[in-house]
Amino acid sequence: MSDPTFATVDDKVPRTGTGHAIGHHGELLQGVFQGHGKRLIRGLITLPLPALSTNARFVPSSGGTVRVQPSGKTKARRAAKLALQRLGHSQLGGDLLIESSIPVGFGYGSSTADVVASIRAVVSACSAFLRPATIGRLAVAAELASDSTVFGDEAVLFAQREGTVIEPLGGSFPPLYLLSLGHSSASVVDTLKLPRARYTSAQILQFSVIRGLARHAIEHQDAALLGRVATASATISQQYLPQAGFETALQLSRLHEACGVQVSHSGSLIGILFDASKPEARRHLTSAARAAQAEGFGAVSAYSVFSDGVQP
Amino acid sequence: MNSFLEAYETPRLFHLAPNLIAASFALMKLMPARLMLDRAEQEGALDKGARIIESSSGSLGLALAMLAAERNYPLTLVTASSLIDLLFAARIRQLGAELIVNEDPSASGDQWGRLSIIEKLIAQRPGTYWPRQYDNPDNPASYARLAELLVRANGQIDCLVGTVGSGGSLCGTAGFLRSVFPDLHVIAVDTNRSALFGHRPGARLLRGLGNSLVPANLRHNEIDEVHWIGAFQAFMATRHLNTMFGAYLGPTSGAAALVAQWYASRNPTASTAVILPDEGGRYQQTVYNDEWLSSLAGWPVCELRSPQRLDRPQEHGEGSWTMLDWQRRMLVNKMAEATKDDLSRNIAKPPRSTQTGRGD
Repeated sequence: MSDPTFATVDDKVPRTGTGHAIGHHGELLQGVFQGHGKRLIRGLITLPLPALSTNARFVPSSGGTVRVQPSGKTKARRAAKLALQRLGHSQLGGDLLIESSIPVGFGYGSSTADVVASIRAVVSACSAFLRPATIGRLAVAAELASDSTVFGDEAVLFAQREGTVIEPLGGSFPPLYLLSLGHSSASVVDTLKLPRARYTSAQILQFSVIRGLARHAIEHQDAALLGRVATASATISQQYLPQAGFETALQLSRLHEACGVQVSHSGSLIGILFDASKPEARRHLTSAARAAQAEGFGAVSAYSVFSDGVQP
Repeated sequence: MNSFLEAYETPRLFHLAPNLIAASFALMKLMPARLMLDRAEQEGALDKGARIIESSSGSLGLALAMLAAERNYPLTLVTASSLIDLLFAARIRQLGAELIVNEDPSASGDQWGRLSIIEKLIAQRPGTYWPRQYDNPDNPASYARLAELLVRANGQIDCLVGTVGSGGSLCGTAGFLRSVFPDLHVIAVDTNRSALFGHRPGARLLRGLGNSLVPANLRHNEIDEVHWIGAFQAFMATRHLNTMFGAYLGPTSGAAALVAQWYASRNPTASTAVILPDEGGRYQQTVYNDEWLSSLAGWPVCELRSPQRLDRPQEHGEGSWTMLDWQRRMLVNKMAEATKDDLSRNIAKPPRSTQTGRGD
């Protein structure tokens, strides 16, 4: 990290802190984009899934050691230490407790949620503040690749391996319903071990167009166009990581007047997106869910993504 | 920071009607010219200081001359005597380019003659780079930038209207837009005696669109609808853009705008985009000159509000506006439906620029 650390503020003695972070359901867009100085850079727009989340609790103590429970969450432990360093408390350690409702290994972003919740717990323990962009960079430092859930409902095009924002997309996500068609149990993935997609130059040009549409969709709160973004990106992704139910999902999306189909570009999740601002959205969601079950999708579930009211 | 030419290649976006967005270029061909040179440099096809050669009497030649001046490449442009105008030639030469003028008494533009001149010159000067705008896939690829600008500004696009010369701008932009809008309706604007959609090539009064050969970059199976605009209809439409919007544009833009305004008014719920490729400066003494217009045989004509629908490619006069539902067919298929007499001899001619035998 090149960021300067802060001088310790002695009169603010660290206390127990808590942090919360949400999971995701893959991406609305993932590809290669022109970054600053025209450099090509890998980036994504995460589809946040607030219904799945991680809570972390950090009890500081003196001595540099951070202990974590469950003990396997080493990235979360590393993140807590990085956050302590960043806040000028490198002499501190403590106990980090993580509780998560996010399934591990299917592409729901469990690892990043653990990391981000841990950083937030440390930040809270130190009575400090870190900007989402800073937390995003710390998360990448702790686990090599991250996602943009740290920005909450603010939509950004995020460089997942550098932890930087390529482009803020001009607002928050429009209210969406997500029909998750779930994952196949045979497909536990280690996202970092997947070979990176080697996109063609024609696809990289396509990504620039899809990115432009994403910006317009967010700025104008247009769920239908955001669905186009997701479908276009998911379609390219099929060449690199084909998903068995993708064609069926496209059909279901068309038949039930959905906005489009999104996938996790490094996992096996498939989802169908609905415009939650439309009164008939619930009806379409329900009928699509029934049809998806009839098609043999095992773990069909409906979620709300930043829409008002009772969850579906 | 962008260079002057990068800034200059960026189109102005404005609304011609509430459901019609226009991308108006100062010099559209800068976009393909830049990408073709960039890629040639990256791939080693264009060495530092090597000569560039291309067949162009129009804006691609000017764009190459500007880029060649900026990047210090010597440039040779091969043009036709019927197409060159003095001011344009002076501007090209001032940029340091060499102009070779091929005599074409038939005034068809004689692309075939120009291509054989290029082949001879390349044989004499090894290391010369020929961008080949008609075949080079980087020509259509460069229009990703236009597609991006259009969706950023407008979001949904249901119909794209554009003129065709090399096919790069219309097929390139359409291809990229269809990656997000697969149902996009694509309208090609051509003119009489252009070979692009099955006319026999001949002298054309309307410049900047049409072609005497069929370039590979024109992918006929991406085109839903073709309009042939007679020069006089295009000239009047061009003057209207000036008097109604203050948009002093060239006749290619006038032709495209005419078709786009017609389509947009008939399809009020659809969102239409139109590519306006040129500005009016080059046409001050012609399209914008009443005396010049009066000197033309057949001028004035009645202004048409809608096209005449054809069932096969068929040549009409300069006062005409015709259209055909092309239905994403290949040129040969479409031509096979026409009677033998109407078949242009040039279609079967298969050198390197042809629409047949392509994998897509």
